[in-house]
Amino acid sequence: MNENTKSENLLHVDDIHTYIGQFHILQGVTVEVPKNSITVLLGRNGAGKTTTLKSILGLTPPSQGKIIFKDMEIHGKRAFNIVNLGIGYVPEHRAIFRKLSVMENLKLAERKRGDLDKHADFIFELFPDLERLYKLPGNHLSGGQQQMLAVARALVPDNDLLLIDEPSEGLAPILIQQMMEAIRKLSQTTTVLLVEQNFIMASQLAKNFYIIDDGKTVTTGKMSELIHNEELIHEYLGASVRTVKQGDEA
Amino acid sequence: MNHEKRKQFITIVIFVAILAILIAVVWRTSGTTTFVRTALSGLTLGSLFFMVSAGLTLIFGLMHVLNFAHGSMFMLGAYIGWQFYTNPTFVFGIAPLIIAFATGLQFLTVIKPRLTQLNLSESLQNLLPRLAWVLVIILVVLAILNFDILGLANTAMVAVTTVTESNPLAELSPQEPLARFWLRPFFLLLGGFLAAVAVSKPGNKKEYVAAEHTTRNWLLIGGLIVATILLTVFREAWSEAILLMNGNLRFVLALFVATGFGLLCGMFIEVLLIRPLYTRSFFIVLMTLGISFVIKETIQFLWTPLAYKMVRPPLFAAPGKAETVADWLLNSNATLNIFGVTFPTYRLFIILLGFLMFIFITLLMTKTRLGMVIRAGVQDPEMVEALGINVRSVFTFVFALGIAMAALGGIGAAPFIPVQPLMGDQYQMQGFITVVIGGMGSYVGAFIGALTLGLARAFGDYYALKWSLSTAVAEASTVIIMVIVLLVKPSGLFGKKE
Repeated sequence: MNENTKSENLLHVDDIHTYIGQFHILQGVTVEVPKNSITVLLGRNGAGKTTTLKSILGLTPPSQGKIIFKDMEIHGKRAFNIVNLGIGYVPEHRAIFRKLSVMENLKLAERKRGDLDKHADFIFELFPDLERLYKLPGNHLSGGQQQMLAVARALVPDNDLLLIDEPSEGLAPILIQQMMEAIRKLSQTTTVLLVEQNFIMASQLAKNFYIIDDGKTVTTGKMSELIHNEELIHEYLGASVRTVKQGDEA
Repeated sequence: MNHEKRKQFITIVIFVAILAILIAVVWRTSGTTTFVRTALSGLTLGSLFFMVSAGLTLIFGLMHVLNFAHGSMFMLGAYIGWQFYTNPTFVFGIAPLIIAFATGLQFLTVIKPRLTQLNLSESLQNLLPRLAWVLVIILVVLAILNFDILGLANTAMVAVTTVTESNPLAELSPQEPLARFWLRPFFLLLGGFLAAVAVSKPGNKKEYVAAEHTTRNWLLIGGLIVATILLTVFREAWSEAILLMNGNLRFVLALFVATGFGLLCGMFIEVLLIRPLYTRSFFIVLMTLGISFVIKETIQFLWTPLAYKMVRPPLFAAPGKAETVADWLLNSNATLNIFGVTFPTYRLFIILLGFLMFIFITLLMTKTRLGMVIRAGVQDPEMVEALGINVRSVFTFVFALGIAMAALGGIGAAPFIPVQPLMGDQYQMQGFITVVIGGMGSYVGAFIGALTLGLARAFGDYYALKWSLSTAVAEASTVIIMVIVLLVKPSGLFGKKE
């Protein structure tokens, strides 16, 4: 059984605790990410979803607990070492490099020479806009285009796992659709761990969910079950329920 | 976003317009000859200011470190280059020791991946590095025990005063005999190796480092060991060979030696002293101040607080005035006729050096991957790390590069200004003002700011003399410019808004 889970799950996060300064942000987060599927982290603002991603990456290293990626212990390693094992990161707030051109932003994400050439076709198929904007500096891009660039950047090297933080944040509905399509397409070849406030998007994309509240994982299960569990949604995702209703009206 | 760009553009246009009007007025009132002479002097100063401020602004932009040791590094570069040029005994006396220690440290790249994978008990993991550090200290003390470093420095001073054209080697006193000396680099090599062991935290599996480029690293270590042995065995032969060399070539080598020394120094300082303090920026300021004091005192100890004059390289030394550049290159004249002005050729070289450095930085920042990483790191180092780039090593490189540029500026300035322990202080001060005017973190801003300050200084001096004012006016002019720029644009000419 144990061996079985090992091969099925790409990433194990086992009871991690993370401090930022003096604040005990994560107080026991456990997440299993199965291969070739989308897993979503849900929870209120400030529940610790972003910190969970950053702890996996080693940007805010956990002080306690285990993180295993591709059967290797990665907790405590330096961030750039962890990332180079094959993890792509799409941060929240579209943290692209504003002074660098689109091309440079993508080039910078190369791990080996030629990575960009290898994946350029796939990237431009997902986000045709970027090809047109190739030479423009990042700060000339619109919010949606910046978000696309942020996702595209994670696709440049060969990655086994993508950590995507709030891809729909601040996007117009039509762009959300496009982003969803893109994530669905790339999840056919890569495993995705998603943080998403937009419940519609999360529910349509993800197979499994984890709810994080006050720095702890509270519950987990199949997305298909969560959709019908209004009680759970109401208790932990208060803010998100409104999104559901708004979505219904739209 | 676009609006911001336009605003910046307008500020620059206004700035250039004011500058142009000022230049026109000055030109009218002073006449062409005076104008050209003063402007060239200003450009010389500006070039020197740029060589100091380029490193300051890069280091601040990426790491937010105010490096108060920058002026001292400028001075150190001048001393090392001057020593290498006039009498290499000192440089070759200490070079084996430095290279030996660096070679030992270089083992880090190949032993760390193995050591971290060792199975050691917790207490052993704690004990081993400490033991290693104690041994390092003992070895370093043993290595420098009774080492007559003052003698080496003194030898050089004697030689400076007595070197003649015909026989420059007459006064070279011998180095310590090899039979006794060889132990010093050997101990330091061991010491460096043990320091590498201590730093790599044996048994700590969390400190995982992939074994990459193993052959390349071993080759590098092999090369360094060979270099150490060659430098150790042929200390005197190297010094003689250098001194018998053509003076111009020797000067070019001196530029490289000073730059390389600055690069090494910068690397050591960043890794050992600055890196542990990144989370406490105030302590970094104190640390760099402390470093600058240590360097100044060491230099005073070695060469006394006296000021020395470095002889200009032969290309700029022959008496007489050249009419054209070709003429100068042929006859190596000390002065050149530019628009009717007799101007020292060496100062032209300084201007050239400053402009070349600007071109170099521009190419580095815009055309290379490293430059891309630096520009991205200025905005968001964490995200750069999250793309799989070792930001720490980029920090080290940028710090070392900044120091190396200051050191190059120092040796470039040495034949032009007196070589003395405080020579860097004034340039550091002007460097900081330059960085503030140009905008923290912008090398283009530093370049324009440096040239502006240099010109203001030169013309200030000219008018102070003309209207018989105090020269303090010229010195104050740079600060006045800074105040005006800060009032109009608080983030500096090319600075980004916070």
